[in-house]
Amino acid sequence: MGAYAKAKELGREAVLEKIDSLGICETGVYREKMTDHLKAAEEAAAKEGEELCLVAALNNADTDCVFLELVKKDPEKIIEGCAIAAIAAGTEKAALVLPEKEEELAASLREKAAPYGVEVRNEFINIRRNACNALIHLAACADLADAFNDCYVPGIYVSVNGGELQKLPEEKKISELADLSEAKAVQVGYRYFTAEECEASLGQLYPANGMIRVLTQKDCIVDDTQKKLHQSRTQSCGKCVFCREGLIQLEFMQTEITAGRGKGEFADLTKEIGEAMCYSTPCSMGQQCAGIALSAMGKFPDEYEAHIKKKSCPAGVCKAFIRIYVDPSDCTGCGDCLDVCPKNCIEGKPKYIHMIDEIDCDRCGKCVEACEEECIHITTGKVPKLPDRLTKVGKFKKKRH
Amino acid sequence: MAVITIDGVKLNVPDGANVLECALENGIYIPHLCHHKDLNPLGSCRMCVVEMEGQEGAVPSCTLKAEDGMVIRTKSEELKRLRMLALELLLAGHPEDCSTCPKYGNCELQMLIQYIGPKTGRLKMRVKGFKENSANPLIVHDMNRCVLCGRCVRACNELRGVKVLDYRKKGMETYVGTLHDKLLADADCRFCQACAEVCPTGTIRDKLASSEKKKEDYVLPCKAECPAHTEIPRYLRAVRDGDMDEAIAIIREKLPIPRILGYICTQACAKECKRNCLSDPMSIRLIKRYAADKDIEKKWRAKSKQLPDTGKKVCVVGAGPAGLTAAYYLRKQGHAVTIKEAMPTAGGTTAYGIPAYRLPRDIIAEEVKLIEEQGVQIECGTKVEKPAELLKDYDAVLMAVGGTVGVRLGMPGNDLPGVLLNADFLRNCALGKETGMGKHVIVLGGGNVAFDCARSAVRLGAESVHLACLEARDKMTADDEEIEQAQEEGIVVHPAQTFERITGEDHVTGVDFMKVKAFYFDENRRAVIEKEEGSELHIEGDTVIFATGQKPDLNEDSGFKLFRGAWIVVNDNTNDKQTSIPGIFAAGDCVYGTKSVVMAVQSGREAASQIDRYLGGDGDISEQLASGKTPDPWIGVIEGFAGEKAFQPQIDPAEERKDNFRLFDHGICDADICAEAGRCLQCDLRLQIHRPRTWGDYADTKEA
Ligand SMILES: Cc1cc2nc3c(=O)[nH]c(=O)nc-3n(C[C@H](O)[C@H](O)[C@H](O)COP(=O)(O)OP(=O)(O)OC[C@H]3O[C@@H](n4cnc5c(N)ncnc54)[C@H](O)[C@@H]3O)c2cc1C
Ligand code: SF4
Ligand code: SF4
Ligand code: SF4
Ligand code: SF4
Ligand code: SF4
Ligand code: SF4
Ligand code: FES
Repeated sequence: MGAYAKAKELGREAVLEKIDSLGICETGVYREKMTDHLKAAEEAAAKEGEELCLVAALNNADTDCVFLELVKKDPEKIIEGCAIAAIAAGTEKAALVLPEKEEELAASLREKAAPYGVEVRNEFINIRRNACNALIHLAACADLADAFNDCYVPGIYVSVNGGELQKLPEEKKISELADLSEAKAVQVGYRYFTAEECEASLGQLYPANGMIRVLTQKDCIVDDTQKKLHQSRTQSCGKCVFCREGLIQLEFMQTEITAGRGKGEFADLTKEIGEAMCYSTPCSMGQQCAGIALSAMGKFPDEYEAHIKKKSCPAGVCKAFIRIYVDPSDCTGCGDCLDVCPKNCIEGKPKYIHMIDEIDCDRCGKCVEACEEECIHITTGKVPKLPDRLTKVGKFKKKRH
Repeated sequence: MAVITIDGVKLNVPDGANVLECALENGIYIPHLCHHKDLNPLGSCRMCVVEMEGQEGAVPSCTLKAEDGMVIRTKSEELKRLRMLALELLLAGHPEDCSTCPKYGNCELQMLIQYIGPKTGRLKMRVKGFKENSANPLIVHDMNRCVLCGRCVRACNELRGVKVLDYRKKGMETYVGTLHDKLLADADCRFCQACAEVCPTGTIRDKLASSEKKKEDYVLPCKAECPAHTEIPRYLRAVRDGDMDEAIAIIREKLPIPRILGYICTQACAKECKRNCLSDPMSIRLIKRYAADKDIEKKWRAKSKQLPDTGKKVCVVGAGPAGLTAAYYLRKQGHAVTIKEAMPTAGGTTAYGIPAYRLPRDIIAEEVKLIEEQGVQIECGTKVEKPAELLKDYDAVLMAVGGTVGVRLGMPGNDLPGVLLNADFLRNCALGKETGMGKHVIVLGGGNVAFDCARSAVRLGAESVHLACLEARDKMTADDEEIEQAQEEGIVVHPAQTFERITGEDHVTGVDFMKVKAFYFDENRRAVIEKEEGSELHIEGDTVIFATGQKPDLNEDSGFKLFRGAWIVVNDNTNDKQTSIPGIFAAGDCVYGTKSVVMAVQSGREAASQIDRYLGGDGDISEQLASGKTPDPWIGVIEGFAGEKAFQPQIDPAEERKDNFRLFDHGICDADICAEAGRCLQCDLRLQIHRPRTWGDYADTKEA
């Protein structure tokens, strides 16, 4: 007998009892006892006189969507879990909501979901319209299905550095999950942590979006923060002032910093806006998305100081701070770089040392790859003395002093 | 009930009440932007944050529900900081220049900025780069000014149930619009303008909004244009719902002769009807006609007022629309009213000018009967020669003598035998008397009266009927419908002609015309006519009818101060209709010239009120005859609503109508009438929406 059939036979009270006895949690941004969570939703709906609907989805804040793997791998299980949750919540209305862009996935599930009375939709959860619904996470659906297949083991789902989603015991230390020897920072859930902080357990740092990702010396935290903020901006529905406009301001500041135009006051402003966002928004997106910027600036001040004050990107990622030059002593005057440069900013002719006009160069690096002599270099530091006019190969003398 | 404390003030409020509303209702201002009294709370702008005892941090008061014992503070440094931050964030995507914004001076955002204080300039400003969208009728969208408060979305979805507007995203910018940016009409918008009404900024705007007009007038132009200010959308709604008893009660609150008007009203309302911008205007007159024809005299009669007798006596001279109306209301105010009418029956120009094929006489008789039933005495066949003497027997007199004498233009041949005047011709026609008309008729004039003459001539058996006027075709004052129908009946229309002379020795033989090249008024407001050389035109005929205006049957002997020797001068056309003879008032066409029946009705109403006051009453002639239930703001979706065309009345073909005086327009049929009434945009619904409350409404609330 399938998990759902079992649950249905048991009836609501017994289902709730079982969920309670296994200690199953709703695994949203915060973990909370599933039975408490469902009861609270039931009360809210009753108070407003609305019909309760069970809605299983990802968190709005989740831009990486690693949990979709659960759905892709075993759709039936998630659908069953969703239907079981509906029994537990005491409603016949259940919906499985997938991100807007996952239309194909949703379409492939509809037929399977129909017999369970589960509707499959694509939408970004409108938190206000769902005020009277029981919202649960897809991962919680997996737990519920396991529970009624009698194979439930407690634990937390994580994907380390983009690897497969796995369920691990919550006592597991983060430092045991990934090699942190090269780590500059670690993204755990919606924030960055230092390597030292990763001595904490999964349960303590709780990656609500299942993400553990190690950033090494080759990664720029400012650049990474900007990208994360941009993803959030793309995903935010934009209805709330603090989420919509706050994200724009936060991203703007990161972009300015990576472009070498960072200002000292950005730290305070990020803190003021970011913190206000957390408690001035109704859904996980607004509440979580500033966390990445707050933790980056709060825990990695050196990175910011390097960008803002020293005008350099320690990882060599931010193009504003790198320089690309042709080494005059190695250039053979082949012209390969000149052919690939999309900005047409390389000057040269056969048998002459090629020169890059730094003003027009946008540091795309195409010439570096094209040069077979490997004499075009990227540096975050000083550039050696270069010819200031076209010079024949071999004729440029490094002046010594 | 719950007792909550806001800023130290204890308030008794219903359990679960909206805390922001509780504050605002009780004189405590909390800044707010996304909140609107008529909409469900959203909590997106965070302007309304407050502090609550026992809870950390600030909470928006618009989504907070009152619970017993709540203690709330609306002012603190931290709240001020948060509101400022919220405002700065909002303004980061808003144009900085208010002076070019049409909302300038009325903008809630602008007022909020004044309240919270100027922003610091530390945030990155951006221009959203949307184009202003004026492609829709009646409504402009200028999304650059949108602050995404979501009021319009809630108004359209939750208040109206039309679901046209929603948040959309284009690239990284959120905005409000229709699905796939369709035109509003294609998205089944109902053009109720609730969105424009609730928008706090200059983003969604009413194209008709004007600083020169009262809001009620541009929002509801049909009612504004109706001289009697009939509650048009209210009765259209009742007709839509099939409730004719309610509809006629609403109509009768303003019009005591609705059936007459249902047949012949000139419909100033429909010319300004906002549906003109979408498809066809509402068939307001025909809908009124339907409701009036179906009058079962139940609802309005039950509520009709009749004040006790005052012992005062009023004489009304003239039983046209103005006189009948005034008499009716004066009687209801408790005065004894007698109408003296020169003609054998009451009705005035509606009976002796307007031909029977447009207004059957039994309808006039029925309307008059209702007025008599109210207690008005009508003495027909009694021409008043010396009005001033009436004051011997009456406490007040109203002159409502209309304009019953035709005007003869000065031109050669204007008094030849065979030359007739509009008023005499139509009167004789109405009385069934010999009109003196021959076989070939030329009507001079281009208004509706001229067409009444021409079409009557056709019906009396004229072999040819020509109609000529000075105005160009598009400037003719007659309705297009009237002109087209006349042409169908064989009348030849000659626009833009000067009348040179009437030819003939001892009888009319025709008229000489010349083509008008240009016709305008010079700087001294004198008419200038330029003629086209060599455009002489002669039309043969044995009868000429002047249809070039009418004037009152009065001269200096009447004792009144007159304007241009015929029209009675009153102290003020609207507010004081007393003539130069104290105790005698005047109303209707005899004061301001030939206008319309409904104008005469309104004039009569005003006169009744003023005479009542003159006689010691309070002058309040208003009546609540309908049930007056508030209309449902939820209008829902109707597919293709904007493009719905008018339902047409049933009109007899020219062949069937042109040899008799029978009614030929049978109105809109039973099957179509509710649907026709349902086309109304219900522009009045917008006036139900509460106006915003800004800090200026609260005494000394400016944030310190
Ligand atoms: C041919 C024609 C067609 C029209 N068609 C329309 C139309 O389709 N729709 C519309 O809205 N308007 C129309 N009008 C205009 C409209 O009829 C008048 O504006 C309206 O009737 C004026 O009302 P009133 O009460 O002021 O005067 P009237 O209706 O003219 O009534 C005046 C009354 O006073 C009586 N009277 C005059 N002198 C004396 C006296 N000394 N003693 C006793 N009684 C006297 C007259 O006999 C008459 O009955 C038309 C007018 C004309 C001439
Ligand atoms: S917090 Fe952000 S994502 Fe959530 S509802 Fe508000 S604007 Fe949308
Ligand atoms: S880095 Fe790109 S833009 Fe710059 S010189 Fe090389 S190819 Fe041209
Ligand atoms: S919407 Fe208001 S604040 Fe914005 S420009 Fe117009 S007047 Fe100014
Ligand atoms: S239906 Fe009304 S509220 Fe909705 S868009 Fe149209 S006019 Fe605006
Ligand atoms: S258009 Fe007006 S009402 Fe609608 S969201 Fe924008 S500012 Fe608010
Ligand atoms: S649509 Fe209806 S309410 Fe609006 S102007 Fe026309 S008749 Fe009046
Ligand atoms: S959040 Fe309360 S008014 Fe906007």
